[in-house]
Amino acid sequence: MINAERVIPPFGELRILHVEDNAMDAELVAQSLRKAGFLLSVSVVQTEFEFEKQLRENPPDLVLVDYNLPQWQGMEALEVLRRQGSDIPLILVSGALGDMTAVECIKRGVTDYVLKDGLARLPEAIRRALRERSIVLLRRQAERDLAVKAEELARSNADLERFAYIASHDLQEPLRMVAAYTQLIAERYRGQLDDKADKYIAYACEGAVRMQTLIQDLLAYSRVGRLGAKLVPVSCEAAMDEVLIILGPAIRESGSIVTYSPLPTVLAEASQMTQIFQNFIANAIKFHGELPPIISVGAERAGDDWLFSVSDNGIGIPPESVETIFIVFQRLHTRTEYPGNGIGLAICKKVIERNGGKIWVESPPGEGSTFKFTLPVYVPEAEMKPDKTASRAVPVS
Amino acid sequence: MKSNGVEILLVEDSEEDMDLTLHALQRGKVANRIFVVRDGEEALDFLFCRGEYSERSIELPPKLVLLDLKLPKVDGMEVLKIIKADARTKTIPVVILTSSKEERDLVSGYDLGANSFIQKPVDFEQFRETIKNVGLYWLVINQPPVLEPSRLIGADHDKR
Repeated sequence: MINAERVIPPFGELRILHVEDNAMDAELVAQSLRKAGFLLSVSVVQTEFEFEKQLRENPPDLVLVDYNLPQWQGMEALEVLRRQGSDIPLILVSGALGDMTAVECIKRGVTDYVLKDGLARLPEAIRRALRERSIVLLRRQAERDLAVKAEELARSNADLERFAYIASHDLQEPLRMVAAYTQLIAERYRGQLDDKADKYIAYACEGAVRMQTLIQDLLAYSRVGRLGAKLVPVSCEAAMDEVLIILGPAIRESGSIVTYSPLPTVLAEASQMTQIFQNFIANAIKFHGELPPIISVGAERAGDDWLFSVSDNGIGIPPESVETIFIVFQRLHTRTEYPGNGIGLAICKKVIERNGGKIWVESPPGEGSTFKFTLPVYVPEAEMKPDKTASRAVPVS
Repeated sequence: MKSNGVEILLVEDSEEDMDLTLHALQRGKVANRIFVVRDGEEALDFLFCRGEYSERSIELPPKLVLLDLKLPKVDGMEVLKIIKADARTKTIPVVILTSSKEERDLVSGYDLGANSFIQKPVDFEQFRETIKNVGLYWLVINQPPVLEPSRLIGADHDKR
């Protein structure tokens, strides 16, 4: 166990700090524990001063306290432990206490209470206290490990994003030159060299242009949320209307029918919802089946989230690919079958996850595909007054 | 090239970019009188008619400055700041040409009085079109202010 706090191994030596003025009683307690199979090292103290000194110099696994001490209140030992931020279990081993007092002590944080003339119960009380504590310690350690891992992950993600941004940003400039000058060469010297030269130059131009698109896509992807723009209420219906205008030519050309049912207002960066609806719908048009695309967008309330769906009657997605399609630059088809770089859905996923939602796709064979995503319900502050009901909290602006 | 009667001052340190911009301007038949300086200091010398440009007249400013931001010696933002802070030069239209769309640059560029802020299009055709349009707009369409000679008398002298 890599831990500053000691967890008692099942057969290790148990370090007890015993607050007790009666040496005989202390001895009795120790004997009964040894008899029960404990390996012990016991320090017996009587005063607060001694108690604190032992805590410091020889931290115990367990504190036993007599309630009635001539020089000191036993319960104050608990205060000392609390003050030091320690959660070492403390068991009262005492003469008879009233029920009220015992309950009060447990409430204040004493782990257990054992009567001096009922010492037979002490070993089990100790075992239970140690077990509980070791669970607490293990859980705490696990939480710490998890927090460290989460932090490392967040850092490495941030590094990666910064890298992607810088790389794509800085690559763009020299590539602009390559693309511009190959195009200039193509223009000026076409037909002046031989056929092969024209062909090679054309290949170079195409390659450069394609790389520019890739880099711009990567930049667009790494820009999602990078500038930390403020989230504002965005009407999904307004976003859809915008998409219908932007994609108007493609919709008409493909004979698509795009419909949407009432959509909510959600929190997002200003143009994000337009961007993701546009990506979904452009995809649905692009991956159409035999019939003209029929695309419907809807949203329903699911607890604290809105569940959006974008359905189409297109070629669908094979079951083995329903996860990978959201990865950057993952394409299911060759570029000649369907153009594109495989960035659209990756951007959708990033936007939705950054805004607190999830995204997935359902695509039963032969039934097109339905992209689903969730986004938290947006509750405008003005609507949070107690006299308004929750269902009224999401106006469609 | 004679440095008087210049219509466009192009401030650009990268040779590749300079050639492309010149190509685009010439092809767009925008201006015959383009003058190129390669760093921020030379740009200021030119505009304030000092050093090797002392024979120029400050009363005949270029109609347009195309300014890159990443420049040696004095950087583009600083050049912009100085041009716009001086009564003799502040009416010269300055168009910032940049490859970055960093919002910071954009905001501070406008704060300092840039007349226009243009990201060089990545696509070559678009680049040519943009440069041509910039030239046409500022040289042909835009109506520059008429500088009254009195405004130049007693104007701030270069403090640098």
